[in-house]
Amino acid sequence: MSTNGKSELLLECRGIDKNYNGPQVLSGVDFFLRRGEIHALVGENGAGKSTLIKIITGITNRNAGTIAFDGYDVPLEHSKSASEKLGIAVIYQELSLIHGMTVAQNIFLTKEPLLPGLPIIDIKKMNQMAQAMIEKYGFDLKATDVIDRLPIAQRQTVEILKALSNKASLMIMDEPTSSLTATESERLFGIIRMLKAEGITVVYISHRMEEVYDLSDRVTVLRDGKLVSVLEGDEISPAEIIRLMIGRELTADESHHQMVDKSAGEVVLEVNQLSSEGKLKDISFKLHKGEVLGFGGLVGSGRTELMRAIYGIDPYDSGTIKYQGKPYAPTVEKSIASGFGFVPEERRLQGIMGAISITGNIGIPNLDSISNGAGFVSDSKELELSNKAITLLNVKPANPDVLVGNLSGGNQQKVVVGKWLIRNLKLLIVDEPTVGIDIGAKEEMYQTIERLSQEGVAVIVISSDLPELTRLSDRIIVLRKGRIIKEFTQGVVTEEQVLRAASGIVEGGVQ
Amino acid sequence: MKSLLGSRKLPQEFRLFGILLLLMLFLSLISNRFLTVDNLTNVLWSVCLIGIMSAGFIYSPITGGIDLSVGSMAALAGIVANVLMNTYGMNWIVALLLTLAFGILIGWINGIVTTKFMVPAFIVTMAAKTYLFGLAMLISNGDQITIMEPKPFLAIGVGKFLGIPIPIYIMALLAVVSHILLRHTVFGRQSIAVGANEVAAKLSGVNPDRTRIYAYVISSLTATIAGIVMASLTQQAYAMNASGYELDVITAVVVGGTSLMGGSGSVAGALIGAIMVGFINNGLNLLDMPSAFHPIATGIVILLALIMNQGVSPLTVFRKWFSRGTAVGTAK
Repeated sequence: MSTNGKSELLLECRGIDKNYNGPQVLSGVDFFLRRGEIHALVGENGAGKSTLIKIITGITNRNAGTIAFDGYDVPLEHSKSASEKLGIAVIYQELSLIHGMTVAQNIFLTKEPLLPGLPIIDIKKMNQMAQAMIEKYGFDLKATDVIDRLPIAQRQTVEILKALSNKASLMIMDEPTSSLTATESERLFGIIRMLKAEGITVVYISHRMEEVYDLSDRVTVLRDGKLVSVLEGDEISPAEIIRLMIGRELTADESHHQMVDKSAGEVVLEVNQLSSEGKLKDISFKLHKGEVLGFGGLVGSGRTELMRAIYGIDPYDSGTIKYQGKPYAPTVEKSIASGFGFVPEERRLQGIMGAISITGNIGIPNLDSISNGAGFVSDSKELELSNKAITLLNVKPANPDVLVGNLSGGNQQKVVVGKWLIRNLKLLIVDEPTVGIDIGAKEEMYQTIERLSQEGVAVIVISSDLPELTRLSDRIIVLRKGRIIKEFTQGVVTEEQVLRAASGIVEGGVQ
Repeated sequence: MKSLLGSRKLPQEFRLFGILLLLMLFLSLISNRFLTVDNLTNVLWSVCLIGIMSAGFIYSPITGGIDLSVGSMAALAGIVANVLMNTYGMNWIVALLLTLAFGILIGWINGIVTTKFMVPAFIVTMAAKTYLFGLAMLISNGDQITIMEPKPFLAIGVGKFLGIPIPIYIMALLAVVSHILLRHTVFGRQSIAVGANEVAAKLSGVNPDRTRIYAYVISSLTATIAGIVMASLTQQAYAMNASGYELDVITAVVVGGTSLMGGSGSVAGALIGAIMVGFINNGLNLLDMPSAFHPIATGIVILLALIMNQGVSPLTVFRKWFSRGTAVGTAK
């Protein structure tokens, strides 16, 4: 459907190479977009999707390859403002909207209509223009609504309006449904189809296979920084996409990781019918001594929320928890005193205290064991604990006075884990334990978890890294939309099986 | 990287003490009146109110907040104590205990509004500064009230023990207590943790709200003590007393190496900071400089201290300025 003699292609990326002064992130990737299509870009974490998008939008520069957008050759030194001028827009969840401003003010930011001849904003006209756009697309918004009061789904539509007012011909949506409800997602899909009808090209990035399947005209699959395949029409099916994403033949070691049945061991934790409005629904499971229980699922499936509830950070609505056979109403302080350890998802934001030394970080959850009844802390006991953790996990540099903010990601994570290991630990919860750390530290982390399990500690591992999940776990529970959708016990589990369950693919279709 | 590989760093307090000694050396060279017991005692006396306030105030920046109400709190404390003793004729000890309880209450309110209602500490304590000043004006009718009675109360400010004024003992005692609280107790560790990363501290079992509330209570308590000492020392209860002291306290604390971003602080440093500010003002006096130079000196000192605490070397800044000029011309 070439129009006015223009090329049928809106975007042509050829042979894109990118490395961030080290490992090759993209090598020789071709990526083509037709005018007015909905194009899904899929791949596992680390496949190179985000990097490709960053290159197209000028946030980072490519090392090699050519990009043509609407017949214009994009130079190597691209920039974000240049890409916006070309008509490329990224729809963020809410990041680029300014709080405290109205919908109209956000849409027309820096291009407000002015009163004739004066440097004064014509507010009435601006609101009318915004309202006209809103009505044209039938959005559920008012031009004068303040951003802060809008739910995320509506903020997204403001982002889309803003892009439309910039005359964007390409809109890139990165996991746009990750914090939307089912109804809100449906509404978004309607909007995306409307954009397509207007001739706008939409790039859709999602881990949710059923969405990709429902929406897309074409699908580009990336794996390990390379283009694997471009699917079109009948070729598109959730199972096929997953097969292509995982791709490689599993090595004997990985595919035969035997899950070990440890259900004979004493039950450490028992969760019964745990529910939390909008987050969790009827979650029940048992965790045994020495067992490594993996939790799979997509981002937003409720894994982190479940662990926060069990550890006592967030309250839950109904259900019961039993710890070591006794009813347990968790609070963080009680959990720590009862032998829990918790390694949060976001190391920098939730895990480390960067401005404090290794010793300071390690001491905080252990103040109970290094202080006396009057509340005085023993420096020597604290230093002893710190050195113990440093030796145990091989933290480098092995200097207890170093500020944790100055350590590498892997060593920071060792400190976050290490502060629990010097306690009388019974249950360790780790959420995405190896994100952003190098391969060496990753391997050490795996060995630590395996050692803990041998010592009888029950471990819960949340991970979106499927090889990691299948390698570590004795049992895997997969969550989807806040419910347990599948449990893999014993035998061999493949990454593909986990991803299929997480995406809701069960026998006979999508759930 | 150097600090990463290096072994134990010399504590910052030593560096500060070194600077203090250099300052003293300089002042003793330019004025022969400087290095006398009388002059040094006078300087310590003049900084003791700031020193007393700093000892408790320091917990507000350490936990990631700020307490701007300390000056007004001190003024009000003097007025309240005077009313209780002289209008209501209470025993002076009972009156002072009630005044301290009142200070604790105000600190608790600051803490509750900051943590439970999540209003920024800057605004909460700014509001407290304003209404406390208003209360002080209301109770005192805006008058400068001279305090003649009771004698034991007046002895707090002007009395001496072994030739050294009692307020200096109070300052030293509070500094030691505060230092021990910060460095050697569970509460101190928790304060630093909350200031460094509230979420991480919470996940490690610290109760951030409780820690912050205590921080404002302690800050308000030492401000109250300073107010009592000041009323006794000046024999006067007046709403304008101690006005602007919050800035002097911030100066002392910041010069002493406490981060206004939270997570680090030093009571010894704050004390040295207070003394340093005292010496600078003393030096200006000895040189017969007009009093207008005092705020100028204080302002410059606080700026320099903040720049030093940020750790950006002036060299880098200048280099950037100059390189910007050349970089434009050279295309890649």
